[in-house]
Amino acid sequence: MSGLDARNARVTDHHHDHGRLLVACAEGDQGALQTLYQLEGACLLGVVQRIVHDRAVAEDIIHDAFVNIWTRSHTFDAGRGSGRTWMFSVARHLALNHVRRQGREVTVNDDHAERLEAERSLDAGTAMEDTFDWQGRGDLDRCLSALEPERRNCLFHAYVDGYSHSEIAERLDRPLGTVKAWIKRSLHTLRECLS
Amino acid sequence: MSDDSLNPHTAEALDDLAGEYVLGTLDDEARRSLERRLPHEPALQEAITRWESRLTPYASMVEPLPPPPELWARIEHTVSEHPMSAEAAPCPSRGSGLWQGLWQSLALWRGVSMASLAVVLGLALWLFSGVADTRYLVVLATPQHTQAGWVIQAASQRDIELIPLEEFRVPAGKTLEFWTKADDWSGPVSLGLVDANGPRRLRLKNLPPLEKNQLFELTLEESGGSPLNRPTGPIQFIGRAVSL
Repeated sequence: MSGLDARNARVTDHHHDHGRLLVACAEGDQGALQTLYQLEGACLLGVVQRIVHDRAVAEDIIHDAFVNIWTRSHTFDAGRGSGRTWMFSVARHLALNHVRRQGREVTVNDDHAERLEAERSLDAGTAMEDTFDWQGRGDLDRCLSALEPERRNCLFHAYVDGYSHSEIAERLDRPLGTVKAWIKRSLHTLRECLS
Repeated sequence: MSDDSLNPHTAEALDDLAGEYVLGTLDDEARRSLERRLPHEPALQEAITRWESRLTPYASMVEPLPPPPELWARIEHTVSEHPMSAEAAPCPSRGSGLWQGLWQSLALWRGVSMASLAVVLGLALWLFSGVADTRYLVVLATPQHTQAGWVIQAASQRDIELIPLEEFRVPAGKTLEFWTKADDWSGPVSLGLVDANGPRRLRLKNLPPLEKNQLFELTLEESGGSPLNRPTGPIQFIGRAVSL
């Protein structure tokens, strides 16, 4: 077996494991939850920290995410998606719920506004370039490559940074309505490309 | 009425909504409203799963952050006090360790973010302190999501009022059942089924007087309520009594 094949086989096994481990969690096997934590804890903490920008909050969310994964493991349906995807969605949505709830009470705080201001001026000159190193990661690559770089940036500022429409608009120095329309149209483009 | 899923425009709108939810661009209100629809809309669940599956590989753009060793210890501690949800539990017998564990578990309570809960509790205390005969107060929040859904105010140790803070959509064929348990009781006691759309007054007959720290919760049961004399469905809202 070539090195690449071996790696692919490992990746496949690795992803298959998540589903099997979730089934074991549903049967009450705490060791399975620990294995899932060892496999994905660091990736999930990275994803959540990127969205919430607060290490203590991010760790609380990872705690809640794994408790959720444990108590809701019986609702995981391997026929509908991979175990890894399911785990990421549990953690990401807890993080997104946190920042959106905060957003309702306080809009952009001063530090954040300053940072956005600084980044905005950087972005303004590089509007036609990719901010994210997105290639070679998933099946959506081909369809993503059909989008303008700036529109791709919008999608990833939302998905990876957890930015709201208005944060993306500020960051890219574009009108809010434009950003909303771009994102909606990008989703349509991706859907059509996939169908 | 025709099946919405067969209408291409509706299906597209649903897919847009699912895509924006997964991207994270919905605002707080839209997210909550979608999450309330989710349990009874399989087409929406499927659309969300499709977007999650497409986008998750791109989460690998984020550098992993090694968690501190104590984080797993914390999770393990919570999980060991927190058995599988009642739904998953294979027919636990009455008063089983599993069920008692769930009730005695501080973990459920700890899952609620203390910061946001403190805000709700503070606000509730402030609001209800003006009501001369309120002696106890309970804020019922979702077990994991830090969202307060109901308040219980008690004018005496026997008379309580359960008040919804926001609309809760009960899925078809289900009902909310109200339960309580004081620290030294062997198991929870049903206070009856609850209509999600209005306040409800209750007199605690045949029960010891309400006490500080007494646990209250609402579980989602099959229509007609739990077939056993303990909750069998998942906890929707939970909280403990505070003495004023």
